[in-house]
Amino acid sequence: MDLWVAFITGLTTGGLSCMAVQGGLLAGSLSNQIEQDLVSQEKKKFQLHLALPIVLFLLSKLVVYTIAGFLFGLIGSVFQLNTISRAILQFAIGIFLIGNALRMFNVHPIFRYFSFEPPSRLTRFIRRKAKNNDSWVSPVFLGVLTILIPCGVTQSVMAAAVVTANPWQGAALMLAFTLGTSPVFFILSYFATRLSSLMEKYFLRIVASVLLVLGLVAFESGLKLMGSPYSFTQLTQLMLPSEKQTVVNAVPVTNPELQLAVKNEGYEPETLRAPANQPIMLSLVTNETYSCSRAFTIPELDITKILPASGIVIVEIPPQQPGKVMAFSCSMGMYTGKIVFEG
Amino acid sequence: MKKKIVLTVSDMHCSNCTMRLQALEDEVTGILQVDASYQKQRMDVVFDDSLISETGILDAVKIAGYTAIIQ
Repeated sequence: MDLWVAFITGLTTGGLSCMAVQGGLLAGSLSNQIEQDLVSQEKKKFQLHLALPIVLFLLSKLVVYTIAGFLFGLIGSVFQLNTISRAILQFAIGIFLIGNALRMFNVHPIFRYFSFEPPSRLTRFIRRKAKNNDSWVSPVFLGVLTILIPCGVTQSVMAAAVVTANPWQGAALMLAFTLGTSPVFFILSYFATRLSSLMEKYFLRIVASVLLVLGLVAFESGLKLMGSPYSFTQLTQLMLPSEKQTVVNAVPVTNPELQLAVKNEGYEPETLRAPANQPIMLSLVTNETYSCSRAFTIPELDITKILPASGIVIVEIPPQQPGKVMAFSCSMGMYTGKIVFEG
Repeated sequence: MKKKIVLTVSDMHCSNCTMRLQALEDEVTGILQVDASYQKQRMDVVFDDSLISETGILDAVKIAGYTAIIQ
């Protein structure tokens, strides 16, 4: 992957995709500063105080992703969690975000345990090292943590860094990509900053609400990754079956060769029909696709494929029972679809 | 003489509050060590009673923006 392509990918799809996955951490790093500012009533420096954690968050992210790129290039081997691990990680993120939201809403003292509380020795050391600047730890730490929850696009670039099999090229690739994602993070944070100065004390509740929504989204992604029929999307589809599906179902299906268009905005068609009791050849077709839909996964079969930006990858699916519904999604559960096997 | 008191601080809002309260050990003469916990809403203070009284510690906490009660 070319460095410019990595940068543009980050600037466009990567920025939004990563913001959706990692926005909670950024909001978490901002919320500490907002809480602190509201307590101390430092109105004049309000904007500057908020800009600092955002910049620190992004800088630490830039550094840690570049180092990761170096390591990916160096080891040149797969550093990819399987579907179940990613789903568990998504649930953990969901619990963390929802717990923090409930903490900010002051629902119950137990939710205070969702707040990071570094040991006194560590905070003492940091305070004495950086007097009057004790607010940088949280955003830096959270920026570093984003490496644990890469979005689908990031995973694609990580895979590309592995392919370079060169630590410096890997580092440069990840640096270019992360640099590309930074403006989106900063602009969205800027609007959050503007909002905070308008809303002041109400903003804490807004941040808590956003954390709550992001937590639920993380949970939903986890459920989708597990191929669970109880995800919000699946339940909605069950309750509101589309007309299109009903019409298509009228024609019997016999062809064991299926084709799925992998687009920047998701999979087309979202529902594939396949004959039961025979192996299926599923062709995944990409055409200048740079979104996280490229990280294709079928949780049930533990199949994960990082697709090329343009090309065709064939996945073989073993024979299935009639009536079986098999879910597929991108590796973070953002884009989904299913294969319905008919007898 | 070195002494220790345990305070309840029920208006800590976040982990940054604990860092702010812990900073009292560097700012207030007589306070030797502070271990604060947002999760427990508690603050353990080790102090030299020849330099500062318990009331003086409560005042220092109040100036920092919090309300403390001796347990």
